[in-house]
Amino acid sequence: MKTRGAWAVSRQGIRTVTVLELRQRIRSTRWVIALVVWFLVVAAITGLTFAVFRSDLIGTDPTQPWIGRTIFGLVVFFVLFLGLLVSPTLSATAINGDRAAGTLATLQVTSLSAAEIVFGKLLASWIAALAFLAVSVPFILIAMSAGGTSAASVLSTLALLAVILAAVCAIGLGFSALTARTPASAVLTYIAVATLTVLSLIAFGLTVPAISSDDQVRLYDVSPAATWDQSGDQQCVWRTQTIRQVHTERTWWLLAINPFVVVADAMPESAIGSAGASAGDQDPMSIIRRGVREARTGPGNEQTRCWSSTQSGPAERPLNRSPVWPWGLAVNVLLGAIAVWFAVRRLRIPQRNLARGTRVA
Amino acid sequence: MAINAEGDGADPAAGVVATDVHRSFGPVRAVNGVNLTARKGAVTALIGPNGAGKTTLLLVLAGLLAPSSGTVRVAGLDPVTQSSLARTKTGWMPDVFGTWDTLTAREVLTTVADAYRIPRAVARPRVAGLLGLVHLAEYADRPAHVLSRGQKQRLGLARALVHDPEVLLLDEPASGLDPRSRVDLRHLLRDLAADGMTVIVSSHVLSELDELADDAVFMSRGQTVASETMAEASSSLRSWRVGTLSLSTLTAWLTDADIVWRPAPGHRPGIDLPHDEPGAVLVDLAGAEQASELLARMVGARLPVSSLAPAAGALEQAYLALDEERR
Ligand SMILES: Nc1ncnc2c1ncn2[C@@H]1O[C@H](COP(=O)(O)OP(=O)(O)OP(=O)(O)O)[C@@H](O)[C@H]1O
Ligand SMILES: [Mg+2]
Repeated sequence: MKTRGAWAVSRQGIRTVTVLELRQRIRSTRWVIALVVWFLVVAAITGLTFAVFRSDLIGTDPTQPWIGRTIFGLVVFFVLFLGLLVSPTLSATAINGDRAAGTLATLQVTSLSAAEIVFGKLLASWIAALAFLAVSVPFILIAMSAGGTSAASVLSTLALLAVILAAVCAIGLGFSALTARTPASAVLTYIAVATLTVLSLIAFGLTVPAISSDDQVRLYDVSPAATWDQSGDQQCVWRTQTIRQVHTERTWWLLAINPFVVVADAMPESAIGSAGASAGDQDPMSIIRRGVREARTGPGNEQTRCWSSTQSGPAERPLNRSPVWPWGLAVNVLLGAIAVWFAVRRLRIPQRNLARGTRVA
Repeated sequence: MAINAEGDGADPAAGVVATDVHRSFGPVRAVNGVNLTARKGAVTALIGPNGAGKTTLLLVLAGLLAPSSGTVRVAGLDPVTQSSLARTKTGWMPDVFGTWDTLTAREVLTTVADAYRIPRAVARPRVAGLLGLVHLAEYADRPAHVLSRGQKQRLGLARALVHDPEVLLLDEPASGLDPRSRVDLRHLLRDLAADGMTVIVSSHVLSELDELADDAVFMSRGQTVASETMAEASSSLRSWRVGTLSLSTLTAWLTDADIVWRPAPGHRPGIDLPHDEPGAVLVDLAGAEQASELLARMVGARLPVSSLAPAAGALEQAYLALDEERR
């Protein structure tokens, strides 16, 4: 028999830990209550969204595709929001909680490797998170029935949600390996989630002055000595001018790492609204998608301020339409991977360094 | 008292051998130079005051903590470099107890069996057998958290035995056990040792260990201060209590015979003697042979002796003789 290292993994080992974790969790009634509450809350939000967007308040034809996509987008965002709230509770106490209860060391001394314990716990918390997602699927399908969303994009959205929740579970697990006390790791996990979702947005806003600069820009503008010709069109010329520009191409990634942006950006563009802002693209997902891609493109050093019907000026600086979500998703997954790596390192035995104030048993 | 850090020539590849083991937690030197040999097929008692480093030493032996320096061999394996292999041969029962709350006793044991990769077909009868062995068969399907402290302790013992280890490390296994369970534990450990297992038991209940342990290792302030076999402990000089119907007659005879005596605890100091009352004195004797010799002489002198017995357990006396302070 060969000595197995901390990173040795076997399916059987992971399953042992996962089954143990799930058994412990499922038998507590809290779990069932949480699922029921979740179900009711998502149902309520779906109902409210329908009520608002199918009413006369909106003042447009409620069968327009963007109305359907708005309903879908809001329901998906809400499910993601709840998922980000719940996932940390599933994993953020998994390791230090066990250590406090004195059950971690009894697993560590068995043939299970550190990686099997960590992956088993990650899998268990992810399965629990997926259970919440599964409860929301009926409502996501109902939202899809509002129109404007294809079945393929429903599937890809669900897959993305699942991956994001896995990353959040992994981050929670990492913090539970870091701190000795369970409240500390829970708080840190929520701070991490808030950093990805809200604080990054605030940081994006606050860095605007820092990324603004006075640039020499070539403007295609109405000539100062312009005279109106018969057609009423303007006379436009090229000139160079110094104007203040916000170089969001330096900070767009602050938006891209946001799980909400990841989900929105990954939704396929609607066929109607492909040419810039149009009536087809007024749903929140599309607005976010366009916004983050514009931020990524940045202001450039040529601008057109001349909208003449006869003169064909230089083409608009093309919007960088390449998707942003792979970057954001990669960052989230990478954070999760680092957390898992760290947790495995912390669970390796024999331990050399103990975190301050912890005992092995 | 014989110091035998090298052991009694037992095969070093078997059992447990610790050589100059140190382990510190920051500034705290929990284990600070431990030399220990636990023979295969014998029960070794690990004795020491609170904070002596017993638990830390057992964690090092179980492969949970790396020693800061020094080497450890458990069943011939190094728990640092051959961690997983050494773990499969080591059973460890912690002092503080945690069980997975919502699992039943049987599930706890099958989970541990899974964790040791024991095939289900082998594990099932083994788990049933272990539950019977620790007298938990009727609680097998109740959640572990409703078990009493002593029952949990016994479940923990079964858990340490699931994978049939070669080395068994028990950290205060007797705490919380009722007298019946203590006797059972003693018999169980003696049987396991007879089957060739190496058993190390840390405990404070010295009178228990007298009958349980073959060898004793004393620890104080992170160091092994002495280790000896029970035979040595019983043969080394220790106090015996002589009961008599007439203190004055006995003490006069002892003084004449040049035998040093002192009043037994609970009796008035020697100044008040002699008086013709029942009582007891302590004398230091090296082992049972000297005791029987003395008894023969006293009976021969027709002294009114009513009893002669060790004043305390062998280990207790050896322990107290170390005169090390509690931390
Ligand atoms: N993780 C830790 N961090 C800091 N100090 C520790 C740690 N573990 C143990 N110690 C210290 O090391 C010393 C030995 O502790 P240990 O638990 O090994 O004693 P013990 O012999 O088992 O005592 P007891 O008989 O009370 O169980 C104690 O002074 C303890 O405070
Ligand atoms: Mg202890």
